[in-house]
Amino acid sequence: MIAVVVVLVAVAGFVLAGAVAWRERRHFVAAEESRRRHDEMYRRHEDEVAESETRLRLSLDAITQGVVMADADGNVLHRNPYARQFTDARHGEALVEAAVAELLAEAAEGRAVEREVELFGPPRRCMFVNALPLELGGRNYGSAALIDDITEPQRLDAMRRDFVANISHELRTPMGALSLLAETLAAESNPEVASRLAVRVQAEAIRLSAIMDDLLELSRIESDEAAERAPVAVQELINDAFSRLKPAADEKQVPTEAVLPALDMVVWADRRQIASAVYNLLDNAVKHSEAHQTVRVSARLAGGCVEVEVRDRGCGIPLRHQKRIFERFYQVDRSRERTDGGVGLGLAIVRHVATNHGGEVRVESTEGEGSSFTLVLPAADEASTAEAAEAASRQEAAAALPIGAGG
Amino acid sequence: MGELRKSFHEELDEIQAGIVRMAALVTEAVPRATESLLESNLGLAQELITADDYLDDLSVHLEERCHHVLALQAPMASDLRALSTALRLNAELERSGDLAVNIAKATRRIYGTRYDATLRGLLVRMSDEACRLVRLSIDSYVDRNAGLAAALDDIDDQLDNLNRECVQAVFQAHNDGGIDLQAAVQLCLISRYYERIGDHAVNIGERVVYMVMGWLPEYTGSARLQIREQHHLGEAGDETIGE
Repeated sequence: MIAVVVVLVAVAGFVLAGAVAWRERRHFVAAEESRRRHDEMYRRHEDEVAESETRLRLSLDAITQGVVMADADGNVLHRNPYARQFTDARHGEALVEAAVAELLAEAAEGRAVEREVELFGPPRRCMFVNALPLELGGRNYGSAALIDDITEPQRLDAMRRDFVANISHELRTPMGALSLLAETLAAESNPEVASRLAVRVQAEAIRLSAIMDDLLELSRIESDEAAERAPVAVQELINDAFSRLKPAADEKQVPTEAVLPALDMVVWADRRQIASAVYNLLDNAVKHSEAHQTVRVSARLAGGCVEVEVRDRGCGIPLRHQKRIFERFYQVDRSRERTDGGVGLGLAIVRHVATNHGGEVRVESTEGEGSSFTLVLPAADEASTAEAAEAASRQEAAAALPIGAGG
Repeated sequence: MGELRKSFHEELDEIQAGIVRMAALVTEAVPRATESLLESNLGLAQELITADDYLDDLSVHLEERCHHVLALQAPMASDLRALSTALRLNAELERSGDLAVNIAKATRRIYGTRYDATLRGLLVRMSDEACRLVRLSIDSYVDRNAGLAAALDDIDDQLDNLNRECVQAVFQAHNDGGIDLQAAVQLCLISRYYERIGDHAVNIGERVVYMVMGWLPEYTGSARLQIREQHHLGEAGDETIGE
């Protein structure tokens, strides 16, 4: 009897335990299921967050300014590639990084701050750094700094400012002289003095018209970007410029020489523009040379380009001015303009001609040792070179004919 | 241990960044000094003189930091060399900054003097060359480039030559009556300041060689002295033996 009871109790116990276990298991499976769903949701959410962060980062990276983001404790979270160039920078650029760190720290305290970092380089650069706190609804999310290179805008700004000042100065000087001379002339009764004054009036008028000519030439070259191109022999250009300059060079006792290794160098260019450029370079060289300082022109072929170099042994150009001498009316030494008669348009013309032709003009100069200007122009291909040579020989024949007829 | 070493190396990196920053201030100060000199820009000169306080402040703090690390971490071998090098570089750069200030001050003393293009050209070249040397020395430091560091001494020859040329040009200008004696003396000193900046860059190079290879070029002189002294002692010893 007892045995039966024990067996019954045991069976009941087993059944009960089985039921409990089955219930637990059901609970467990349900919990597992919900956890899995939750995990999946979380993962999906995480993926979305990561995706959106990547998108934001990539957008920041696409910005051409430098962007640095820091958390509320001032730890940098992200830099875009532009800003990254300053992280391991040495020399001057290291100062930009220092400025960014300092401004971020200040911005973290809730102030928007900015600073200009001028670097003497070389190259000279001016960086603008500003940092601002990232705040929303009274909560501080850290700070962000922006780095901007303002070298070029600053230069353009200075150029515009100076251009207006210079053009009014250049025009006013001869105008003032003219009106003064005219006034004196009106009151003058002595014919001898009057004629002397008239000569001065004429000189000032010529000066004024020379400025106008230069300005017109410049504006023509500036607007005429798609100029008519033809093969032009470099030697001819140099010879023409030399013959135009000979009187001035002889008067100043400035010897000139030309070094032309390959005689058949030809450029594909607008003849009038290119002649004006070469002439202006030579004219400048002669103007800035003292007696017995040789002006040398050389031309060479380098990588599909013809390089025409004009070198003088004159006073040279201070480094500070070298970047700006190609601007209209820019002059290194204003006190020279009266004696030289230049107004500072020559190099502006040269640069425009160079860019019109897909070339460039370079300057190298040391004060006290002289300057060297190199005009780089694309060389003409062989077919047009041959054509130019033919044209040149025709021209020579044509030129020779009248002499022959005369003789 | 790992955590401690990491923070120690972070500290070393920050010290190196401090040195790079000081060098940046120097390479920026030199062309500024030159411009203030050539353009007689007194405002810029004053700016430079004031800005040197910043460099001095950086230098003091960096030195303190180095001592701190030395005392607390007791670094050994290459770490110790890196630290002692940073200490020396700190002093060299601080001094170079002072030399740039000297140029700015000399600018004020000779304000109003006009000098010829040759002299101006030479001064610009000296300034460029001095800057180049400082840049190269810092490149060698950051890149741990012992070869470049060792070459600085020979690269500096160019600056030494320029210095001689510049002094000659000053004498010439003075003889021709272009500048008075006071200006001539100041210009010679300025030329010397540039040359000294180059020398400091060479010193930096020597220290970098030491940092990378553990070998001090200066010891050659000291070693020579020791050999001489030993030789002398030996001779003296021989004599006593002879007697």
